[in-house]
Amino acid sequence: MAVNAAQSQGAGIEQALAACAGGDKNALRRIYDQECPRMIGVAQRMLKRRALAEEAVQDSFILIWRHAGRFDPQRGSGLTWIYAILRNRSLSILRDEKRMETDESPIGQEAASEEDDPETVMAKLSDAKALRGCLETLPAPRRGMVLLAFVQGLSHGEIAGRLGMPLGTVKSWIRRSLIALKECLG
Amino acid sequence: MTQEPDREILAGEYVLGLLDGAEKAVFEGRLADDVGLDAAVTRWRTRLAPIDATARPVEPSMGLWQRIEGGLDRVPAPSPAASMRPALGARLLRWWENLWLWRGAAFAGIAAALLLTLGLVAALDRARRQPVMVAVLLTDTNIAAAVVNTFADGRVELLPLQDIAVPQGRALEIWTLWDRATGPRSVGLIDRARAVPLRLDNLPLGADQLFEITVEPASGSPTGRPTGPIVAKGLTARRL
Repeated sequence: MAVNAAQSQGAGIEQALAACAGGDKNALRRIYDQECPRMIGVAQRMLKRRALAEEAVQDSFILIWRHAGRFDPQRGSGLTWIYAILRNRSLSILRDEKRMETDESPIGQEAASEEDDPETVMAKLSDAKALRGCLETLPAPRRGMVLLAFVQGLSHGEIAGRLGMPLGTVKSWIRRSLIALKECLG
Repeated sequence: MTQEPDREILAGEYVLGLLDGAEKAVFEGRLADDVGLDAAVTRWRTRLAPIDATARPVEPSMGLWQRIEGGLDRVPAPSPAASMRPALGARLLRWWENLWLWRGAAFAGIAAALLLTLGLVAALDRARRQPVMVAVLLTDTNIAAAVVNTFADGRVELLPLQDIAVPQGRALEIWTLWDRATGPRSVGLIDRARAVPLRLDNLPLGADQLFEITVEPASGSPTGRPTGPIVAKGLTARRL
């Protein structure tokens, strides 16, 4: 049932994107009402600070508005497209802020909420059985690396530091995990 | 199974956010004209999307929508480039056959030679004047990619030291950051690595001020802030 609800919301997003491309600001507002809280949540898992997460979401809505005409339903769902824009924007802020940092402590050193721990995220994945099942076939440390990258936006080097493992090992384990996930999910 | 496994895995690393600055820029350049690679990226985004669904919703603060709405009108209308494209070939042919074009080109050549002479004289003059401050912009592998020189008369210039790979349809945008609260400001946009005067106008300029180059869409960052990967960055330092 949850899946059906998600699908019907998804179709709404695609219609709203088409209306945005035609200049309808109310359509953008509908996307905002439906997705903004979860978008802030996704951005905050990467950026930690609430203000930066809202900045990422703000920039993303402007980009969604501007590029809505380029959205192509043949190439994935509207929700996937919107979250791709948000993730790109959040990663840019994450990497820029880190390098533009002068005196404040870098974002990467701020403690992640326990909620964003790989295993906590796994536990919440119950609704999406295929992905959860495939992640469960991976040994926990490898699954953890994939989730640290995707959920918290950590780089190879940061994952290596966090887990106390050599960089080369982290890179090759993530690659192998991706191969396994691709085989499992098709 | 026609998909090369390497491409599929590279697409997965991209979606996980694991490609670093230069790798990411090259990958995004390929995405623009490689339908198969683009499809691989979409497949990974769709596979991993359930993870984003686990994020705890956070109520937006007051005024977020107003800030977004305020930003919409500042955004320029979509570029007419797409609608011009079909006629481009025919138009190029007409230009090619236009006698005035070639006469113009000849005069432009003479003018360019004169300008180069003047430029050379000016350059020799400028060579005598030393910069007041210098910033060496380093890549993330600590290779010096460009230098920013600032002069006593207020001029600021960027001189590349390396060729910088710019994906098709992208440009290099130069930014300066003097105050984190204000955020980075754009001071120049170039299609490829070349010497360029930077427009600092009334912006502050001092020692330990950050300059950086990012890869952006050809018309510059759509948000007015850096959106693409950082190519190189460095802080200004005063000459002894």
